[in-house]
Amino acid sequence: MLTVEKLEIRYGEVEAVRRVDLAIARNQIVALVGANGAGKSSTLGAIAGLIPAVAGKVVLDGQDITGMAAELIARKGMALVPEGRRIFPALTVADNLRLGGAMHLPAQEAKQRQEEMLDLFPVLRRYLRVKGGNLSGGEQQMLAIARALMSKPKLLLLDEPSLGLAPQMIDVVFDLIADLRRTGLTVLLVEQNVALALEIADHATVLANGEIVLSGTARELADSDLVRQAYLGA
Amino acid sequence: MIMQQVINAISLGGVYALLALGLAIVFSIVGLINFAHGELMTISGYSLLAMLLLGCPFPLAVMVALCSAAIAALLMERVAFRPMRGASVTSLLLTSFAVSSLLKVVLQNGISARPQAIAMPGWMTGAFSFGDMTVGVGPAISISVSIVALLALELFLRKSVTGTAMRAAAQDFDVVRLMGIPASRIIATAFVLSGLLAGLAAMLWVAQRASVDPMMGFTPVLKAFIAAVVGGLGSLPGAVAGGLLLGIIEVALQASLPPALAPFKDAMVLSGVVLILLVRPNGLIPAIQAQRS
Repeated sequence: MLTVEKLEIRYGEVEAVRRVDLAIARNQIVALVGANGAGKSSTLGAIAGLIPAVAGKVVLDGQDITGMAAELIARKGMALVPEGRRIFPALTVADNLRLGGAMHLPAQEAKQRQEEMLDLFPVLRRYLRVKGGNLSGGEQQMLAIARALMSKPKLLLLDEPSLGLAPQMIDVVFDLIADLRRTGLTVLLVEQNVALALEIADHATVLANGEIVLSGTARELADSDLVRQAYLGA
Repeated sequence: MIMQQVINAISLGGVYALLALGLAIVFSIVGLINFAHGELMTISGYSLLAMLLLGCPFPLAVMVALCSAAIAALLMERVAFRPMRGASVTSLLLTSFAVSSLLKVVLQNGISARPQAIAMPGWMTGAFSFGDMTVGVGPAISISVSIVALLALELFLRKSVTGTAMRAAAQDFDVVRLMGIPASRIIATAFVLSGLLAGLAAMLWVAQRASVDPMMGFTPVLKAFIAAVVGGLGSLPGAVAGGLLLGIIEVALQASLPPALAPFKDAMVLSGVVLILLVRPNGLIPAIQAQRS
């Protein structure tokens, strides 16, 4: 569904990402893990079209989308839930959701989709008229995911969904990601919490200093010495 | 007498509010303080003059004048600001100064540096009685137009998808693009709205003075800029509050100051602005921006 070849990203002189390859098959959960500053978010940003890549290729469903504007990529069935949630704090929950589907669905279908999202995230229903900024961190994460799902994406990119959430909330969010996959969604998950990511992912890739150091099935990675020593603290 | 001053104050404040709103809308979306906003007023005023000279009926001439301001705003974005997208606030500010000076010189040399009289329809200079007070038709129209424009803008920003996306873009533009909403559409709409608001303000300004000149936009837009800063730069409710407040203070000082102190009116207004900013550095109603983690 998505392949990334030899992706390279620079911020001025600094090489943030070097020769990163990724391949995600339909209905898989692939995790991109690594420490803070390893280049995970930059990789996601480049896939979604927010950050220009210096070199490399991004192909979605057989179509080369390298260098395409973020708003066009979004209309090809890719949705990114950015790091730190980045909901619109001064907009109501209803308006946040509305924008998520505005370009993808006709008004009637968007209404119906919003109902589906409220069934999936019942906490949001009470807050429809509340400004997004007044929600708790966990509720904002729900809203950010619901907003992305409004567009009925084929591929969901999640950037650090566990960041800043209480432990029970993290479980809720990760159960939800596993549930979403069962409905046919493909997920690319970026996580600093490696143990958590390996629990739900099929495949995983470990990034360090902008380069891939290890790649394989989640099982293989969880058992590898490098991951156990460097990330799982075993 | 006091009632008349109140009406004058609201009418002047309304014009400042429309202008400040135009500045705030563009600033909230692209981070540009458009000093060429005054030239949008001027262009609108000269379009009105041209249409009337061509023998166009008054309402049609006003429509053309409003549209020409909107088109001029759109062109400014295309020609001058789009190539500068992503540049620093200072570069954008300098670009807008360049656009402003260029247009002023073109109007001064191309038409005339002198004011040109505009014949306003007779009914606009009249007055009507309301109970035992007399209200000028001009200020009454000015207040009604401002109120209708504010309500229409509010409705657009709340109800339409593009309006909602504009409010969202003021908080986090990149995420709006992630929703598949084209950045260029949002920016173009912001400029068209600011142009329409400048055009409306120009019509109200010209109605009070019955003339246009190449510098006509300078003073009101400078005041509107002050109003936008006092209200909270980039905040739309702040722009309206700042505009009204500035209008009220100006008229109050004009009415109450003894003639000897009258020349100090602007100095007093600006001292008041400094005081407000000392207490509330982000303005009366600060803009809300998403915090990035």
